[in-house]
Amino acid sequence: MSKKIITRREFLRAAAVVPLAGALMPDLLSGQSLELPNKVRVVLIRDKDVLDGGGGQNPEIIRRMLDDAVIALLGEENPIKAWKRLVQPSDIVGIKTNVWNYLPTGSAVEMALKRRVMDCGVPDERISIDDRGVLRNPVFLQATALINARPARAHHWSGMGSCLKNYIQFVPRPSDYHEDGCADLAKIWSLPMVKGKTRLNVLIMLTPLFHCIGPQNFSREYTWAYKGLIVGQDPVAVDATGVRILQAKRLKSFGEEKPLQPSPHHIALAETRHHLGRSGAEQIELIKLGWQEDILI
Amino acid sequence: MSQETPKSDQEMASLVPREVRGWKAEGKDAVYDPDTIFGYIDGAGEVYRAYNFKRLLARRFVRQSMPALIVDFFDMGTSSDAFGVFTHDLMGENSGIGQGSTYKGGLLSFWKSRFFVSVYAEEENPEAKAAVLALGRSIDSSIKQTGRKPMLLEFLPKKNLDKKDIHYFHTHLILNYHFFVADQNILNLNAQTEAVLAAYGQKPDRGDLLLIHYPDVEKALEAYSDFTRAYMPDLTEPGLVQTEDKKWTAAVISRDMIIIFIGASSREAAREMMATVDKKITAKTQIKESLA
Repeated sequence: MSKKIITRREFLRAAAVVPLAGALMPDLLSGQSLELPNKVRVVLIRDKDVLDGGGGQNPEIIRRMLDDAVIALLGEENPIKAWKRLVQPSDIVGIKTNVWNYLPTGSAVEMALKRRVMDCGVPDERISIDDRGVLRNPVFLQATALINARPARAHHWSGMGSCLKNYIQFVPRPSDYHEDGCADLAKIWSLPMVKGKTRLNVLIMLTPLFHCIGPQNFSREYTWAYKGLIVGQDPVAVDATGVRILQAKRLKSFGEEKPLQPSPHHIALAETRHHLGRSGAEQIELIKLGWQEDILI
Repeated sequence: MSQETPKSDQEMASLVPREVRGWKAEGKDAVYDPDTIFGYIDGAGEVYRAYNFKRLLARRFVRQSMPALIVDFFDMGTSSDAFGVFTHDLMGENSGIGQGSTYKGGLLSFWKSRFFVSVYAEEENPEAKAAVLALGRSIDSSIKQTGRKPMLLEFLPKKNLDKKDIHYFHTHLILNYHFFVADQNILNLNAQTEAVLAAYGQKPDRGDLLLIHYPDVEKALEAYSDFTRAYMPDLTEPGLVQTEDKKWTAAVISRDMIIIFIGASSREAAREMMATVDKKITAKTQIKESLA
């Protein structure tokens, strides 16, 4: 055991200064990675009308939310200009979705993303939307650009089903990455099929799962209509923002500090160990758009 | 922990009914082992692997205009591990099924003998809840034997024990799931170690007792040394330290076990807990030795 050991007592020390320190794992683990930008921008956008009474997504509102988020993220005046900074007409684009049956990415988000990729001049045949078949998908195998979109959810082994974790399908044996609560998921992002290709990350917070139970890992009782999307180019910052909202929801719902179990430390380690992006709140410029009620962050 | 041969798929299937309250089994059963479970429940499979599960039989039930029900029926190999995996999530109400059960949010979990059973309604409504409980009761009555809880539980003092907050496990990751101790495995936990974590008292005066049984005294000594070096580097008296929250942590070795109490309200309370558990271990061991 050569590296520094972080014990419960580090949290107790921090708690003497910061209340609820146990919920702030990413901050306690975060460090200074000099090769990363000091500040990264993340957009949280919410719309109270995005879901219908049955929980279905309104495709038009989803499209507008994504457009507004990308405009704010890149500081452009319209969505096409913004997207053209992300995707070139010559790109081959894989949209990495998530098909988990209880909480999938959903066609509204998938189609809105595909529409904008096509608006950048990429023809239909050079775009593919896939999850579990990416290793056999000719478009993904040749992709020059990736768009990453998945719902946020509590997870029995990694703490949170995150944008970082969404790339687990890019490895032939996902269980190789299960050690220490999926601590090194960020390593996947340095594989040739993925490295440097991700142009946008969308963590879907429409009906996030804030607590998981049972082998199926899901109960509708532990989802809520947050009606948001978190959008950014830095997957670590996007996920770290999502974690903070899930933790806040758990505090509100359970009435006491009850950190995600196991801890989603793969997100902080993506910064400190793998230098993929920023996880500390002070290093994230969070732009909040749209509906603000019960925003929790 | 004596291991039993896993039940055959057919034997396991015969313990689960094919119909309940209008719901009927759909399609063929799916059967998984520790290598194939990820294809069914992704990374969540690690929880069951951490308890050495042998086999999982999954059966789906459907009824028109009603949510689907799913039975996940685990042969854990031993009653200790069936009990242990049940204690992984104790939220919910006791439904009186099996040897211990919880129900919440459409999910019934219970253990009996060497089996851990989950019955889940994809959406909860009164009829689905009734069917989930009926399925559970049916499986419970099909399992004729009962199982013993892990012996380690016998060393837990009863005074102030929160009986709804006892967890039995083997590995560092499951310990950290319930109670974060350290990011690294400073207690050398593994598939061969047995551990129980139990809560005493109520917040803010709650303390957590951790008992770990190692395969031999040498391994216990090694783990004790690693733990005290990492967690109690500033101890001023043997096995006792006041932590940053003004509470006390105590750790001692008792034969091939380590006893750790974290969050004691006073030095005396920490020492008393150590002495009580040590006495129980010594008494039990002496009985065992005299019978040998």
